[in-house]
This record gives sequence, C-alpha cells and structure tokens, in this order.
Amino acid sequence: MQTSKTPYVILILGALLLLFGSYWGLSVAPAERYMGEVQRIMYVHVPTAWNWMLAVIFAFICAIAYLFTTNIKWDSRLEAALEVGVLLAFLLCCQGAIWAKPTWGVWWDWDPRLTSVAVLLMASLGIVALRNFVDDPRRRATWSAVATIIAAVDLPIVYYSVKWWNSLHQQQSTPQTVSSAFHLPLRVNGFGVLFVMIGFIMLRTRIAAMRLRNETAVPQHYEEAGELA
Amino acid sequence: MSGVVSGVVQGGWEFVIAAYSVTAVGFIVYAVSLFARLKEPKP
Repeated sequence: MQTSKTPYVILILGALLLLFGSYWGLSVAPAERYMGEVQRIMYVHVPTAWNWMLAVIFAFICAIAYLFTTNIKWDSRLEAALEVGVLLAFLLCCQGAIWAKPTWGVWWDWDPRLTSVAVLLMASLGIVALRNFVDDPRRRATWSAVATIIAAVDLPIVYYSVKWWNSLHQQQSTPQTVSSAFHLPLRVNGFGVLFVMIGFIMLRTRIAAMRLRNETAVPQHYEEAGELA
Repeated sequence: MSGVVSGVVQGGWEFVIAAYSVTAVGFIVYAVSLFARLKEPKP
C-alpha cells in the first residue's frame, strides 16, 4: 500500500494558501463599488468554480484513458475525481446561492449557468452513487467511463452559458475582467483550492484502490478451505 | 435604461461569513471522511 506523505503535504500547503488568501480577501482587499462587502465571496466562489471544472476535465481524461488502456488504476482516479468534483460542485452551488440572495434577491434561479452546473452535479452524484451497485470492477469501470464522458459534454455548456444565453450570472471572472486590487486573493485562493483538490484526489484514489484490492482478493476462509482440501 | 435596478449593496458581511463557513466546513468534513475511510480495517 502507498504510504507517501505527499498528499498530506499538498493538503497542508493548500490549507495555508487558503488561509492567507482568505485573510487578504476579507481584510486587505477593498470592497467592490456596487456589490460592497458581498463581492468578497468571489475569492472563494471563483477558485471553487475553476477547480471544479479542472476536476471534471481530469475525470474526463481518466475515463478516456481507461477505455483506451483498460488499466484499472484509471478507474480509481476517475472515482476520486468524480467524488471530489461532487464536493466542489455542491460547495459552488451553496456559495452561489449565498451570493445570489443579496445581489439578485433570490437564493436560486433557473438561469442557464446555474441549471447547467446543477445538471452536472446531479450526473456526477448519480455516477458516484451507482458505482456502489455494480460488483464487477471491469463492468463498473467501463460504464462509469462512458457515463463520465457523456456527463462531461455539459462542461462546455457550463463555461459558455453566460456568453450563449442572456444569463443572470455575470461573465467569467478572469484577470482581464476584475480589478487588479482583487488579483492577489483570487490567485492565492485559486492555488489553495487546487492543492486541496489534488490532495483530496490522491487520498481518495488510495481508498478506491484499497476497495479494488479487497474486491479482487481471495477471501481468507476460501484460502483456509483450500489449505485443508 | 428603464427597468434596470441600480444601487449599492449595503452590509452583507453575514453572507460573506456564511459562504466562507460553508466552504471551510465542507472541506473539513470531507477531509475527516477521507481519513476515516483510509483507517478502516480491511475485511
């Protein structure tokens, strides 16, 4: 079993970056002209969105890699990326709802951006949940990979929804679209969430690999019976 | 343009605190769940 401390180091680094970026965003960066203090939610919401998209892209890559190589390690990585993606998408929806209430006047709106994120969250959650009902690791890996590829088609729709449709959601936040005073906390928290996400995916991959080993191992009572026979 | 609401959002710190708290709790609970699953005894 892998016992490398690397995921823990990456997690701690990510947590420290998040603490520093959040401190800067909450107490040093200026309030935005129209949204006032509420805009500070951006320093946690936008990095979560960026890294959620990265998690979905990584899950898509794992799915393709599994179908081409049939190496079961890619299935463990896929399981990890999907579950961490579910966490990030859930947090993204919560943060978005909290930001929407004081600025839009509602917690939720069936706007194209919000709806497409919710669809991908539900699809990812469904794949993660249904994996527990398939006992054969190979069958589970194959249909998970295919389902992930189909679900990932929604990601470009999420990204471009604010351009394609008359969305209530603002355009993508990039260094070109936000004031330079907001860059530092946004970038620091961007890397913070990235490191936390990588640490989580590495640890979750270990859990998936452990489960796989347990599933494919010969049960001890069978081994004992074999010795007696 | 008529129909467009303009103005400045007043206050709002409670929403900021809520967003950061939800995120922190989400990360911490998930990290604890990972550590617990890693320590589970093998069947």
